[in-house]
Amino acid sequence: MNAEPVIRVSGLHKWFGMLHVLSNVSLEVRHREVVCIIGRSGSGKSTFLRCINFLEEPSAGSIEIDNLVVNAGSKGKEHRQLVHEVRLKTGMVFQEFNLFPHLSVLENVMEGPVTVKHMEKSVANEIAEMNLDRVGLLFKKDEYPNRLSGGQKQRVAIARALAMEPKLMLFDEPTSALDPELIGEVLNVMKKLAQEGMTMLVVTHEMAFAREVADQVVVMAEGEIVEQNNPENIFKSPKDSRTKTLIDRYRSGGQ
Amino acid sequence: MDTESIPKAPILKNDPHQGMGVALAALQRRQKLIHRAKVSAVWVGLVVLLTLGLLMLHIEPSYMAQHYNIILQGAGATIGVSLASITLATILALLGSIARLSSNSIAQGIAGFYVSVVRGTPLLIQIYIIYLGLPQVGEQLSNLGFTQIGKLFILDAIPAGILALSLNYGAYMTEIFRAGLQSISHGQREAALAIGMTPWQVMRRIILPQAVRIILPDVGNQFIAMQKDSALISVMGVWEITFLANRYARRDSKYLEMYLVAAAAYWILTIISSWFQGRLENRMSKAYER
Repeated sequence: MNAEPVIRVSGLHKWFGMLHVLSNVSLEVRHREVVCIIGRSGSGKSTFLRCINFLEEPSAGSIEIDNLVVNAGSKGKEHRQLVHEVRLKTGMVFQEFNLFPHLSVLENVMEGPVTVKHMEKSVANEIAEMNLDRVGLLFKKDEYPNRLSGGQKQRVAIARALAMEPKLMLFDEPTSALDPELIGEVLNVMKKLAQEGMTMLVVTHEMAFAREVADQVVVMAEGEIVEQNNPENIFKSPKDSRTKTLIDRYRSGGQ
Repeated sequence: MDTESIPKAPILKNDPHQGMGVALAALQRRQKLIHRAKVSAVWVGLVVLLTLGLLMLHIEPSYMAQHYNIILQGAGATIGVSLASITLATILALLGSIARLSSNSIAQGIAGFYVSVVRGTPLLIQIYIIYLGLPQVGEQLSNLGFTQIGKLFILDAIPAGILALSLNYGAYMTEIFRAGLQSISHGQREAALAIGMTPWQVMRRIILPQAVRIILPDVGNQFIAMQKDSALISVMGVWEITFLANRYARRDSKYLEMYLVAAAAYWILTIISSWFQGRLENRMSKAYER
């Protein structure tokens, strides 16, 4: 494993008004590493993920991707350009899929390469088909999102993010909006990506997935990282009491 | 069209009950057709009743027949002015709605002021101000030495009518566009930003195309209303349907005859517009069929 981190988040803070939702969060994800962030609802894990590609503007701290340093709280054209660069290097998968309903499956995946990277349609088409094949949905390329199941929608959303060839994939509770029987197909695609060596940062409630696929598990509570270790240690011998509660609840069947 | 929208029963292999489903689908299709035939029959009945009623009124159908061509003479101006105005109004509404939704206080203020003033005053007064009032402004500018600029304030009847209708409908449509843009979920914007689109690309490629589908029915209604409101530009002497009907009605004292012809003309125009609107809406909803 390459020791050089793909992303280094340092001292991130986020306030919503008086509410301190992220407090001094620092994290590194190395090349080809899969990091899962677990924690109860409201622990700040989704906000943290959204701060990384600036869908949420962090209040303080810095984010370093690929030798590109963005300081929180900056303004102006230069800052916007940096944020744009960060978004080009990261792909994001949302809980609610957010596919573009007016575009076909193929067009959804082509949209980034064509509009953002200004690729030739034929080249973008090839990239889109390749990535749809990666998630096993090439045969649906001419359908519209409305006709897909939730699991299929999320797999298309993954293909859409992959088509931009990101250095790092961000997953924001990718299976939380899915019917239980559709969760497996999405997790399988993510597992496959991990095996292919994609660098991934995954916010999830799927403990089994975190345990099986993650290289590092990060536990968040009340806007802070309370524990970080390999899954073996987190699940067998959790140190923090909040981690213990979380793991116990998972063991007893509830999540 | 409607009969096609009933889904055909899916054919399962070796399904002993398949015949039942096919029969049910056929029955539903037949019932829908019968229902539509009944509705059409009511329409025809109403038209016949109305015609009979009018014939009892001692009007002269022959006079109407002689002068039906005012429709052809006047429709050009009515349609032309309406099309030009709806186009300009759409541009105004697009700019206005983006301004109203922007975080820029100046843009927001200007757009809000525009909508308030225009919605709060009658269209007829707006037409008078633009056609009869603006030349006064132009005159004063000319006196101050700005002759070229002053001339711009003296408008012919048709440009004045188009300007008034565009400004008026632009204000109403600003609100329609704003509601349409706001109805697109925040997640769409976030997903587009996340793949690296600029805010302008997000608007053009993701938000607008979806909003257009939502606001299209309302814009169609506005266009129909505008065709009828364009009758007001007859006060400036534009040779459109209402002006011509007025002329003959007064000259020959055939008020009922000529105004009925004019009413029929507008009705036909709006039926044609509705038909185009329906086709456009069908096409736009293709992606949303299940």
